[in-house]
Amino acid sequence: MKTLLVKNAYVIDPIQNISGEIMDIAVRDGKIVDDVKNPDDVIDAAGMLTLPGGIDSHTHICGTKVNFGRYMSPEDMRAGRTSRKGDMHATSGYSVPTTYGNSYRYSRMGYTTLLEGAMAPMEARHTHEEFRYTPLQDCLANTLFDGNWFALEAIENGDIKRLAGILAWYLSAAKGFGVKLTNPGGTEAWGFGEDVSCIHKPIPHFGITPREIIVKMIEANEMLNLPHSVHLHCNNLGKPGNYLCTLDTYNAIPDLNDKRQSLYSTHVQFHSYGGSSWNDFCSKAEDIAHSVNEKPQIVIDTGQVMFGKTTTMTADGPMEFNLYRLYHNKWSNHDVEMETGSGIIPVLYRKKNLVNAIMWSIGLELGLLVDDPWQCILATDNPNGAPFVKYPEVIALLMSKEYRDKEFETLHKSTGKRVALPAIERERTWDDIAVMTRAAQARALGLIDYGKGFLTEGAEADIAIYPISVDTTDPAREYERIINGFATTEYTIKRGDIVCRRGTCTLEGNHSTYWVKPHVPAAYDMSTDSEFIDGFNKYYSMRIANYPVGEEYIGRNVCMESEASL
Amino acid sequence: MMKVILEVKERHKPNLPIEAECITPKNFLDPERAFHVWKGNKELDISDVFHVRKDGNAKSAEQVEIIIRGNSANIKRVGEYMDGGKILIEGDIGMHCGNFMSAGLIEIKGNADSWLGREMNGGKIVCHGNAGDYAGSGYRGEKKGMLGGHIEIMGDAGDFAGETMAGGEIIIHGNAGDMPGVDIRDGRLTIMGDCSRPCGNMSGGECRIFGTAYDMLPTFRNEGLTSVESTPVTRFSGDYISRGLGTIYVANYKYME
Repeated sequence: MKTLLVKNAYVIDPIQNISGEIMDIAVRDGKIVDDVKNPDDVIDAAGMLTLPGGIDSHTHICGTKVNFGRYMSPEDMRAGRTSRKGDMHATSGYSVPTTYGNSYRYSRMGYTTLLEGAMAPMEARHTHEEFRYTPLQDCLANTLFDGNWFALEAIENGDIKRLAGILAWYLSAAKGFGVKLTNPGGTEAWGFGEDVSCIHKPIPHFGITPREIIVKMIEANEMLNLPHSVHLHCNNLGKPGNYLCTLDTYNAIPDLNDKRQSLYSTHVQFHSYGGSSWNDFCSKAEDIAHSVNEKPQIVIDTGQVMFGKTTTMTADGPMEFNLYRLYHNKWSNHDVEMETGSGIIPVLYRKKNLVNAIMWSIGLELGLLVDDPWQCILATDNPNGAPFVKYPEVIALLMSKEYRDKEFETLHKSTGKRVALPAIERERTWDDIAVMTRAAQARALGLIDYGKGFLTEGAEADIAIYPISVDTTDPAREYERIINGFATTEYTIKRGDIVCRRGTCTLEGNHSTYWVKPHVPAAYDMSTDSEFIDGFNKYYSMRIANYPVGEEYIGRNVCMESEASL
Repeated sequence: MMKVILEVKERHKPNLPIEAECITPKNFLDPERAFHVWKGNKELDISDVFHVRKDGNAKSAEQVEIIIRGNSANIKRVGEYMDGGKILIEGDIGMHCGNFMSAGLIEIKGNADSWLGREMNGGKIVCHGNAGDYAGSGYRGEKKGMLGGHIEIMGDAGDFAGETMAGGEIIIHGNAGDMPGVDIRDGRLTIMGDCSRPCGNMSGGECRIFGTAYDMLPTFRNEGLTSVESTPVTRFSGDYISRGLGTIYVANYKYME
């Protein structure tokens, strides 16, 4: 019976409609409770902003492609080294740090839950093994289905229930959390030496369009009653003029769930490009934000780009090839048999590069122009837009027009003609930021039922206490204080344990891996479906019996069971 | 003038490497400075490894000469970030000698181990013996190796000499190993002896081979005969895998059979 009392905290908790109340938070056995008598530990959080633990709903921190990023950029390993200190392991790496590096740096910023954005089911073991060594955060992994042959076949045959059965089998076999589509159909077409232009042209071999893949996957996903919606990386990432394709996709999305969105559209910054080539490249964030404002069934994350060195990694192989042709730098391309692919290249975003400056502006425009903060999540798609350690700067940029203008001055001179950012007066409030960094994530991922994202009775005791006094700080002027305040918490509390104190992490966390197990009727249970088993054994280089990740790979696991309505 | 003589003490296990990045002329200007070297994860005082003798005074790094005597074949990173003065090594020297140096002279009477003058951008290194692999190259993952300065190796060099070289000059009087000048983008690499598979993925710069280039890569275009320093050579342009902006002059060449 371990107890803790956080006294006099200045709490913002958007899920419970608490905005700036001075409260005491009592914790017993890792859960928030009404009251504790004679607490073992007391924290006086007077004058400090206290929020639920941060949730990153799209990051790349564990798994084969992250690891490949590590070993193709040994110079990045030299860029961010910290030595062993107390309980903390030595870490290295800046844009793709070691697992402990990720965990400590996230914890320092008050993050307690992380969603790995893309896990190829066949390579899931690696992701789970790395999750075990990310000790201070709960981890979840989106599972890639963009080029899954069995799923594509089911869509081709118009059998959505079978598609749902296939999703269910793969998700629980890979111990994944949500359905991730990356450039649906595109990576598969790339395997045949082709690419997709938008969502209406059929892909080779299967003869179905990306639009069909997206819509059917969403329908199947909702049939399984999973906590999270389909997590979509749209087609045509990073191509000038792709905003039309993004709008087309959004218009096709049905509204199927009254509790949360039906589509989580990720790193939208990369999908809001106007123009017909890099010469007349411009921002179309207004059109995209307008579309999102009209569609409550869609939640986006911004995919903010920040200047500096980073490594891009995605399952979108063709897009990485295009980037490689721009930069002529190192490039890796990888095919995961029957399922998906991936590409990795290191990049440097520069202020004096017009395209990069426009990209930076588009992310901020999206963050400001989407009316409802619950529909607009703050993320850099770490490390694609920028390493996650840049989050405090992104927060400050969203909160301060003055800071934005000051930064804008340093960019390429022509940026102002291509973007709307200088005309946007809006400044995000403390409440908006609390929504955009944790509450919206908790709702979009369906984690509220599992006690995440809020601070009242019954919640997991994931608490971030920042040394920022809301009453005496004017975010529009004192943006330096915002950056410093959000960069290092006074305390980060994970399941009732203080895991980080002013940047020094104190112990191995009490962390879990969350995964879903949808129960489907026997007719759609793929583990006994002879056609599926035959196909599997025929086409994979791996036997079906060896494929599922055993529970022994997962330390403390939380199985999220659901009953499918098939 | 200041003369610093560092004589390596008799070591119980001479094969254990010592990291001695503190040995640069500039550091000896400060009489108060403590010198530490690393043996594995143990930090030692410099006097645990060397007999140190200092004579004379100096006002700038240029006036400092360091002489290293004894079995220094496993002393690494000597002259790292050196920006003036002279280091004379009377025997062999360990890996990473002259890392990032920008000015001054390092003279090695014996052999140098791998990574001699890696990522250096000025100054001069003369090695009277042989050098190991990666002389004048960039470190793992780095896109630019040597940026400027001069490396002269009187003996042979190992593999990957001048990898990702981006400026300066390397002269190898003996033979070079496999893949010299791979990924070279600028600067000049001269090999008086033989080598194999030179300059793969070259995107600029110049390489001169006065011996035989074995297993010449097929992605270079033969541009005909010419002469360099009155030696008849064949000029190749390439590497056409990477835009073909580099040049190789080679006296004799052989393609893989």
